[in-house]
Amino acid sequence: MAHSRREFLKTAAGAAAASGTLAFPMVSRAQQKKLTVWWNRGYYKEEDEAMLKIAEDFRKAKNVDLDISFTIQEDLLKKIISAMTARRCPDVAFCFYNDWEVIPKYGWEGKLVETTDVINELKPRYIEKFLPVAHVYDNVAKKRAYYGVPIECQTMHIHYWRDLLKEAGMNDDPAKIPMDWNGYWDYWRKAQDALRKKDPAKYAKVYGIGMTESSSASDTIYNFEMALLSYGGTVFSEDGKVVADQGANREAIVKTLKWFADMFNSGYVPPDTLNWSDGDNNANFHSKSIVMTPNPSVSIPAHHFFNNPDNYFNKSATIEWPDGPDGKKPTYMVAVKTIIIPKDSTNKDVPLAKEFIKFVLEPKRFTDYIKGANGRWFPAFKDVASDPFFSKGQAGKGGAVDPHLPTVTRIYLERPTRVFEHYKNPANSQIYAENVWGKAMSRTNVDKWPADKAADEAIGRIKTIVAQWR
Amino acid sequence: MTAAADVLSPRSRNLQGLLFSLPLIVLFLAFVVYPLYFEVTQALDRYTYEVLFNDPIYVQTIVNTLVYVGIAVNLKLFLALLLSGVLDDDSRSTRFLSAIFLLPWAIPVLPGILSVRWMMSSQWGILNLISEDLGLGTHHWLASRWTAISALIIFHIWKYLPFWTVIILAARRGIPRQLYEAGAIDGANPFQTFRYISFPLLAGIYLICSLLSMVFTMGDFTNVWLMTGGAPGDSTHVLATLAYRYTFRVGKLDWGVGVFATALPVTLLFIFILIKKIR
Repeated sequence: MAHSRREFLKTAAGAAAASGTLAFPMVSRAQQKKLTVWWNRGYYKEEDEAMLKIAEDFRKAKNVDLDISFTIQEDLLKKIISAMTARRCPDVAFCFYNDWEVIPKYGWEGKLVETTDVINELKPRYIEKFLPVAHVYDNVAKKRAYYGVPIECQTMHIHYWRDLLKEAGMNDDPAKIPMDWNGYWDYWRKAQDALRKKDPAKYAKVYGIGMTESSSASDTIYNFEMALLSYGGTVFSEDGKVVADQGANREAIVKTLKWFADMFNSGYVPPDTLNWSDGDNNANFHSKSIVMTPNPSVSIPAHHFFNNPDNYFNKSATIEWPDGPDGKKPTYMVAVKTIIIPKDSTNKDVPLAKEFIKFVLEPKRFTDYIKGANGRWFPAFKDVASDPFFSKGQAGKGGAVDPHLPTVTRIYLERPTRVFEHYKNPANSQIYAENVWGKAMSRTNVDKWPADKAADEAIGRIKTIVAQWR
Repeated sequence: MTAAADVLSPRSRNLQGLLFSLPLIVLFLAFVVYPLYFEVTQALDRYTYEVLFNDPIYVQTIVNTLVYVGIAVNLKLFLALLLSGVLDDDSRSTRFLSAIFLLPWAIPVLPGILSVRWMMSSQWGILNLISEDLGLGTHHWLASRWTAISALIIFHIWKYLPFWTVIILAARRGIPRQLYEAGAIDGANPFQTFRYISFPLLAGIYLICSLLSMVFTMGDFTNVWLMTGGAPGDSTHVLATLAYRYTFRVGKLDWGVGVFATALPVTLLFIFILIKKIR
């Protein structure tokens, strides 16, 4: 087997020539356009399958070497942040955290491609109230413009066990549950009292209200923001300045914190809510240790739909957030999930990236994709939202009516909504990352601070974060 | 090989040595020098430290880290020193106990921490069940800063005590038996035996173990993240979890690096003493 140097050179030259010949098709492949896409792994396989099909269709239709990869949201956020730092980004990235964490910061730093042309083209189709999420300030270009393409939303819903209400001897029909502020919350307290009275051993650990009040869950942020809107308060002005310390807003914040503290101390909320992560209210609901829970997605009914259709169609229901203490209909905080195009992309083919996004968002294609999520997301487009799936929901056996998705659709289309305000001021990313309001709840619930002291600390922290942001 | 090396000139020998070392040098440059350079350049911005020192969470985190490392490591090693004495016995019962005692170290961190979290659940946990039965009411163990940090310390000791006990036990077994026999002839009681024979001969390894464990624990992310995630209210962060939060939750890599940079002098001091001691 030993080779002389001459033999080695011969073999090497032959191999080089062969690889040169074989490389010829590679040259033509290299001329093919390339696109790298990072996509958030869906909660259901139908979502991923629909996206894979779209990617395959795009490959064939445009003769593009498309590389699409799916990553779960927590890991994808880290991947995007690392890529942005290393300046080695994909051409298109869709992560569920883009609207809160990525667009405000990297838009501000001038690292995202402007997408105003795509938005303008799609504008006739958009439900326009969802668009501001991507309209952020670029501190390099010194202008506000669209730096992302919004596609789907999530908002606050309240789910409850109909069979537990029946067990408590109460009316389980969503239409019969009082929607005034005090009557609404009292209803769930009464349910707990009635259940415990009926069977103290069985229901001793069942609580009426599964309200997340921990500083580690983003659900806490939704809960706080919803309640703050109900009390008529706001943190930022329209031009992104902190107005939380102004009279009416501070008063609303104090009232909101006191409301959460009173609720926690009333004994109608599980004590563990102080430690809940985002999935814990789901887990407690599934185990029936709470009668109701506010949840900022329809993940709870979706789980039932797949695992126990009886629970989905007959034993649980989705209901709206109650009218505010002033009697007005609630305003819903909406998180709008958005696609981005990083400037430092590997292939630097912005037109192709935009073409891909528009391809994904074509009505029929995008409807198939979003329906794969089984109602977890609501489309940001009127034509897709008009699909009967969103108004009628899932079809049950024997014509059972969906008690969840029609309520969800009503919230998006008929109620006042407000997108989360990261677009107004990028410092919001840090305010939310610190979960300032969750921390304020810790102050009132654990340290037993009065609500006004906790509110002032939180407002002070928000002002510091905003002042330090650069 | 020796003969071949002998015929090479010193310059050729140097070149040959360099070529053989090249893979290691490249790896060292890529994975040690460059990251350190990157960290130092990222950490040079004075503004980063202004932000950090004005952040109440950072200051709280420094205190937490000192408490966590200081108490957990020292208590653990002191217990390891004592336990190694108990286990330094060849009887069958002691060998059986040693095997049982090693179990926490063999259990993976995740199920271990989940079990502790479950035990400390305010609603369903066994601790509160006992507390309620004793008429002491319900406690929010993981919802209060100091009980949560205490839980971390207890878990750390439970998990890593066996490992360090085995290390100190091995050192103890290395002490010549004649010294104990001589002590016994001179009428030394057990405390005097420990004071004048065991401890002086274990002091070196005890210090090395302490420094090593401190370096490991200073960078501990997993236990803290899984146990509390920094909650309640970001009050139980240690440096590693806070750096992670700054980097991946807030998206501020420079702040995350800054957190490590402030800990670097202490870590380097530990490593310096450690290397000196080993030499």
